[in-house]
Amino acid sequence: MKKYGLYPGCVMPTEQYALEKSIREVLPYLDIEIVDLKGFSCCGEPLKSVNQMMTLTLSARNLAIAEKEGLDLLVPCPMCHLALSDCKRILDTDPAMNQKINKFLEDEGLKYTGKSSIYHTVEMLHNIVGIEKIKEKVKKPLIELKVATHYGCHLFRPSEVGRPVDSENPQEIENILKAIGANPIDYPEKLECCGGLLNANLPESALTKTGQKLQKVQEQGFDVFIDVCPWCHRQYDSKQKKAGETVAAKLEMPVLYLTQLLGLSFGISEEKIGLNLNLSPVDKLKLGGK
Amino acid sequence: MSITDLTSMGEPQTELRKEINDRLCKLQDEISDYCYQCGKCTSGCEAHKLLELEPHKIVALLKRGLIDEMVNSDVIWTCMSCFKCRERCPQKIAPVEILFALKNMAVASGKQIPGNYTALLQSVLSIGLLQDIKSVTTRDNKTLNRSDIGLPDISKPTDPTKFQMMISKIAIEKV
Repeated sequence: MKKYGLYPGCVMPTEQYALEKSIREVLPYLDIEIVDLKGFSCCGEPLKSVNQMMTLTLSARNLAIAEKEGLDLLVPCPMCHLALSDCKRILDTDPAMNQKINKFLEDEGLKYTGKSSIYHTVEMLHNIVGIEKIKEKVKKPLIELKVATHYGCHLFRPSEVGRPVDSENPQEIENILKAIGANPIDYPEKLECCGGLLNANLPESALTKTGQKLQKVQEQGFDVFIDVCPWCHRQYDSKQKKAGETVAAKLEMPVLYLTQLLGLSFGISEEKIGLNLNLSPVDKLKLGGK
Repeated sequence: MSITDLTSMGEPQTELRKEINDRLCKLQDEISDYCYQCGKCTSGCEAHKLLELEPHKIVALLKRGLIDEMVNSDVIWTCMSCFKCRERCPQKIAPVEILFALKNMAVASGKQIPGNYTALLQSVLSIGLLQDIKSVTTRDNKTLNRSDIGLPDISKPTDPTKFQMMISKIAIEKV
């Protein structure tokens, strides 16, 4: 079993428990060992608007903690994944900035050297675990389940930083879903933003973005909407009702994390993947996974 | 170190403002020969459809040096950071990065930080995370916290004082 340090970020471990729960169940089932490390902080990306230098320092700090333990990182949040990847890219190519940031880390006895690699859940499943292995583990194939996928902007843009999936036509989540028997279908709004980052200053507009996309998905007759990002899921699942009210639509779209749907197809119980925590109407799915 | 110190126009902020200004000047130099106002950034902009942000105009205004005007405008805070403009620009200009620099400048100049950003910053400063652990409600209306769900202790800075010292330095020291 290969070991990875889990970098939880902020949103997942403070409120999006279904994501954390399902990751902790599903990845060990696929022979990935998750190691918890002490001392992590925010990745800094949500504060990039306030102070970019703070973003860089916070990311470097978290990478330095993983390096100290000699572990590569599993990063489930696309925004954290972008922040850490961007930080690595900058500090590995700009010696002056590297020195400047490391000066800040000295107080806590940390040092960034660039030894640890950073993996998102999707690339871990698709490239490290592999499609064949996922296929082998399926106990309850989700035949003919019509799935709309949502990657989250930060997972595929900006490609200049090095992103785990293609920026205009990502198919990794689709490949994973096909492996468990489901039927993912591309739709025109697939790459649109959830608006979640506007929550800090324009929450109404954020809900409008969320509602507009979900309404389109619902109109196209999808059975389920799958996401991987705790920020996006907070919009599409936790705030679905409010989003519907904002765009004057009755939204009844089951929204699950990719790792939750995988868990169901592996025969893992609903409780273990935190399905009771989803606020969207997931009971509609009738997957019989009890 | 309080939020006011971090964002005020106090003396230590001079260096920070200078650094952001250098960053903006560099962006200005980089784009001045390249942007031909094709508008591809604006045509795809997520915030354009909803909030009338026009990234190609941001680039044009920066080119003309109208930095103060933009720093004082609310429009820079409508960006959703989706990075589409940076991804699709045929000339490899990144309006989203210009917007980040402008917002950083607004904060360093002591402008009012809109909405919830102050609370987010304050939270990172005190506990290292954007927000503290929340109780959640299940679909059948039960209230649960992290440990009820069977999740281990949360990872956060082990020595908050040292952590706060480090963060404060970023805002006030020469960067």
